Amino acid sequence: MNASLKVLSAAVLTGWMAVASAKIAAAATPGALQLPNFDGISSKAVQTVDISLDTSLLGMAASFMDSGKPDDAAVKEIIAGLKGVYVRSYTFNGDFQYPEADIDSVRRQLAAPGWQRLVAVHNSPDHSNVDIYICMVQGRASGLAIIASQPREFTIVNIVGSVDLQKLHQLQGKLGIPPIQLPDNKAAASK
Amino acid sequence: MSNELNDRLRAALRPVDPGESFTQGVLARIAGEPPGLRVSAHRAVRMLELRWLSGALLAVAAAGFLVAHQWQARQHAQQGQEARRQVMEALRVTSEKLDLAYQVVKDKEHSGA
Repeated sequence: MNASLKVLSAAVLTGWMAVASAKIAAAATPGALQLPNFDGISSKAVQTVDISLDTSLLGMAASFMDSGKPDDAAVKEIIAGLKGVYVRSYTFNGDFQYPEADIDSVRRQLAAPGWQRLVAVHNSPDHSNVDIYICMVQGRASGLAIIASQPREFTIVNIVGSVDLQKLHQLQGKLGIPPIQLPDNKAAASK
Repeated sequence: MSNELNDRLRAALRPVDPGESFTQGVLARIAGEPPGLRVSAHRAVRMLELRWLSGALLAVAAAGFLVAHQWQARQHAQQGQEARRQVMEALRVTSEKLDLAYQVVKDKEHSGA
């Protein structure tokens, strides 16, 4: 009985240490955010997008893309330098049903050194807010974070790894991805 | 003539008791045989049975391996397709939000101008 308890406690301790070390490793990765657990609100949401893709899953996804097809090749090129893609997006029937505190906990992480705010859009009439942050390590982008909120929707995107917005831009209009009109594009068009 | 021949044949072929010494001799010979010879026939049958059994087991194992391999390949393909779908969905959401930011900036520029 005692031996069984010892084995059980050792197994529990080992599991806990594995989970803790994985969390520490994730937090230590530049560009990676510790996303809150949104299980409580996912039941209230009418539409939920919960995506967690680590390096191995991204590699697996890339292996199922056909390099011969231009669209697949473009996506493959984008995800080649990524270490993780995490998306949490919730749409509700009513206004402001999501916990602001959880979003603030993510914002606090973005105040850490390395993170820079690229865009901060706060539109008062329709209460739409979009903040785009980029994590720079030794002059290179190693992470992207987007926090977008509207009265009935909020989205957090965290892309870990070498992010190239221009490459993402190249995907516009393909594979169901809506056209992205970056300021550079507008400037080029006006010339 | 034929009856006489018949009688002589019957007399010659009548059953004769070999005697106690013959029976003892046969029993002594059986007892003197090495045990391996007596078991060998039984062992041969057992070996044949075992060979069939091991062949059947090997076939079952091979079939099991094949089924497991196919199941694993199918699982891998499903996971890969799901990962691919999630990548596309993530890129769609990301670009949607980037576009939303741009639209708001553009609207502000227009209203400011």
